[in-house]
Amino acid sequence: MIVRMSKVEIVGPKDLLQESIVLLRNSGIFQIEPAAVGFIEKEDQEHIRSFSLDEKTAVERLYLEDLRLKIEELFSFLPAVPVRESYIDPASIAHTIAGTVERHTGQTRELSEKRDELQKERSELERYSIFLGGLSILMDSTKEAPDLDFIGLTIKEPEMVPRLREVLSRITDWKFEFQTEPAEDGTLVGLITVERTIADRVKKTLSDEHVPELTFPASFGTLSFPQKISYVKERTARVSAEADRIREDLLRFARRWTPLYKSVRDWIDDRLALLKTAASAYETRMCFFIHGWMPSRDMVRLRNIMEEAFKTRVVVAEKEMREEDLERVPIVLKNPAYFRPFELMTSLLPLPAYTSYDPTPFIGIFFPIFFGIILGDAGYGLVLVLLTLYLRKRFRKNKAVHDGATILFIASLYAIFFGALFGEFFGDIPERYFHLQPILMERRTAIVPMLLFSLAIGVAHIVFGLILGAVNAFQRNVKREGMFKVLSIVIICCIITILASLSGTIPLVFTRPVVLIILFLTPLLFFAGGVLAPLEFLKSVGNIISYVRIMAIGLTSVLLAYTANELGGLTGDVVTGVIIAGLIHVLNLILGVFSPTIHALRLHYVEFFSKFIEHGGRKFEPLQK
Amino acid sequence: MNLEKVLIAFCAALAIGIPAIATAWAQSKIGAAGAGTLAEKPELTGTIIILVAIPETMVILGFVVSTMILFTVK
Repeated sequence: MIVRMSKVEIVGPKDLLQESIVLLRNSGIFQIEPAAVGFIEKEDQEHIRSFSLDEKTAVERLYLEDLRLKIEELFSFLPAVPVRESYIDPASIAHTIAGTVERHTGQTRELSEKRDELQKERSELERYSIFLGGLSILMDSTKEAPDLDFIGLTIKEPEMVPRLREVLSRITDWKFEFQTEPAEDGTLVGLITVERTIADRVKKTLSDEHVPELTFPASFGTLSFPQKISYVKERTARVSAEADRIREDLLRFARRWTPLYKSVRDWIDDRLALLKTAASAYETRMCFFIHGWMPSRDMVRLRNIMEEAFKTRVVVAEKEMREEDLERVPIVLKNPAYFRPFELMTSLLPLPAYTSYDPTPFIGIFFPIFFGIILGDAGYGLVLVLLTLYLRKRFRKNKAVHDGATILFIASLYAIFFGALFGEFFGDIPERYFHLQPILMERRTAIVPMLLFSLAIGVAHIVFGLILGAVNAFQRNVKREGMFKVLSIVIICCIITILASLSGTIPLVFTRPVVLIILFLTPLLFFAGGVLAPLEFLKSVGNIISYVRIMAIGLTSVLLAYTANELGGLTGDVVTGVIIAGLIHVLNLILGVFSPTIHALRLHYVEFFSKFIEHGGRKFEPLQK
Repeated sequence: MNLEKVLIAFCAALAIGIPAIATAWAQSKIGAAGAGTLAEKPELTGTIIILVAIPETMVILGFVVSTMILFTVK
């Protein structure tokens, strides 16, 4: 149900504005309306203006915003750690914090920068370590000599090796040694040993061939390759130790100071939200005005809260709801316990307009019935009841799963009921093994009766939707729309009468007067619905035919169950038969959960609700802490 | 006599098969666009479900016609 809302104006002396907002926020039942339209009369507009903060409050706001930014900057340098709650009153330490925050930010920034530098150096060293690791193997097999030079390479494409050999042999006149070794990162590490006199020429040629020579940073100095290897190891260990020490320092700092800064930041957020809300209020020379919406049932409660706090100084008044206000009234849906889980399905749709209907009770009533008719198997229903009972118990705290399981539980009860009517328990087992006949009809063979039954459900559902739509239209004083819906209902009834008389269900004599009635009503239909009226009417007829899916989906389910039993019986062995039939039944059961749900929902969303529900409501968002 | 039955069954199959293909094609297009929309605006779930569901009417109408062919044409 859509909760009845009240249009409310709260008036009081200006100095009580902030206290009033705090009380409204704590109550959690009032949504402030920043727009003045519909609240302030035209003649009063020159005396009432948007509330502007006094100089002291404006300075406080700037100060708090600046402090918040500083705290955020400090947090950006600190690691995220789970911290305890601070029990110190944040308002009393805000000024002290303002004095320390910059110093702490400076310290942590310095530590963070140092840590980043060390991490960068460590990753560089790791890169060299990969290269030097590969080279160390090659160095072991190469003799060091003062007249020899070593050139290290990283080769990304192994195909380059023969080409490099060819180039080196040409430049050095075969006086070189070139060895390669796969590195840890998958590339190839190469070591060229040449005479020192031609080393520069070789390096230049390598550069021309786009083979990068590995250069080492200046900190490596003039160390030989073996020295470089041990230097990298030592330096990596030193850098890692230093980075770990800084990380520990930052963690210690975060654990010590984060609770305090966090509580002050939350307090600032709270205070700024209050000041921001105050900007939605209005003022005269002496008074403030707060406009908004709240559930009518809470009016007395809010009046009591205000009276208790301010006696008669702040007044809560309910204003007259005008027609133009109806589009802006926020929507609160509240349903009895049985319907509440079905709000899960309503949440997929946009909110209804305030003057429309809450779709939840309709889904709550009709969805399980449609599901039950489509699934229509007592055995499947029983399995689903047990499964949903388990899910409801297992996921008691997960609202979405719990609600979904509750919906499926109710729908499964209907599946058991209709299963009993159709004589189905895991397909045709009652008839096959116990010779029990269905109470109503056997869906597998009664195709035409089931089709007519589904159409009858469609007619009833759509006509009910049109009646609700007509009532709603007349209530909103949109008479032509209401008249169009009434005419649609009458013409649908006329068409059914014609079909019934033509099929011999009722005497044929009814046909002619009914056709005349339709001919008489058609111009009125155009008058009420405009040029597109016939199209709209045909849409309703199409909507009714769409209900045939109840029978169609049900038929596939019953045929699959029948096939399962038939195949199981053909095996000639009890165990194999039960396994085969069981597997197909499981598949059918899975399909039997999804298919009826989707199609029953579609019948509501597309066919039924389009007849009477108007969407476009906005969510009720009360002031809350 | 047998050929007549075959033709009736064939016509019934066409009556449901062609709308089924048409529905599948329409839903594939709407579904793909809908999935893209939902990635950006999850609040449109209801609208997308309705849009995806609309072409299903074709196959249901095909089913009705197919049933009529099977049970009324003698």
